[in-house]
Amino acid sequence: MSEHRRQILQMLSEGKISPDEAERLIAAVEGPVGTKSTDPAFGSAEKSRPRYLRVVVDSEDEGGHEGPTKVNVRVPMQLLRAGVKLAGLLPAPALRRANDAMQEQGVPIDLTQLKPENLEELVEQLNDLTVDVDQKDANTKVKVRVFCE
Amino acid sequence: MIPFVAVVSLRNQDSRMFRLWIPLFLIWLLLLPLALLLSPFIFIACLFCRVNPFRGVGVMWQIFNALTDTRLEVEHRSAGLSFHIL
Repeated sequence: MSEHRRQILQMLSEGKISPDEAERLIAAVEGPVGTKSTDPAFGSAEKSRPRYLRVVVDSEDEGGHEGPTKVNVRVPMQLLRAGVKLAGLLPAPALRRANDAMQEQGVPIDLTQLKPENLEELVEQLNDLTVDVDQKDANTKVKVRVFCE
Repeated sequence: MIPFVAVVSLRNQDSRMFRLWIPLFLIWLLLLPLALLLSPFIFIACLFCRVNPFRGVGVMWQIFNALTDTRLEVEHRSAGLSFHIL
């Protein structure tokens, strides 16, 4: 991270400037559009378009009798895109039934709002997605990580 | 590109590894005549469900293509399974 950017973020965290001002300052520090920062952190943010959705599960029983179990799933984002397109093809009654079923399972997602035109934005937002779940009970310890790479 | 091969690896308790290469392209070749035979019924079913059949076929094709590079691994002390679509 560059020194200027760090200072701006520091000022933002201290409440000296508003988020809008911080955004303008960062844009000014980065220079005109087309001149990219040489900061590797910037570079990775620019270049990285997630290619895979990863789900990693580590499970271990406390006694250690059965040993750890590891599950590693890698799904191409392209499959996610195609899946959203498929959801866009489904007729409204089928989507409503799917919505109801998911509501019952505690997943409040409205599939009718999942439109192909919003697809790229959705996938880009997934870039920053990381879900970490740590569960520990009497016998087992489970760690789940969902992220994009 | 649609996936051509799937690799299934199995490991048993004795750490013996079995690797199975499944030639998916042969399955696609076998399924192609069946898909052609069923296409009128698929077309009618799509119309019945108010789905554009051409878009439906397009999306299914995209899903087939997107399956490439999918990987699933399950590892346990006593056994292991890995499934990779190439």
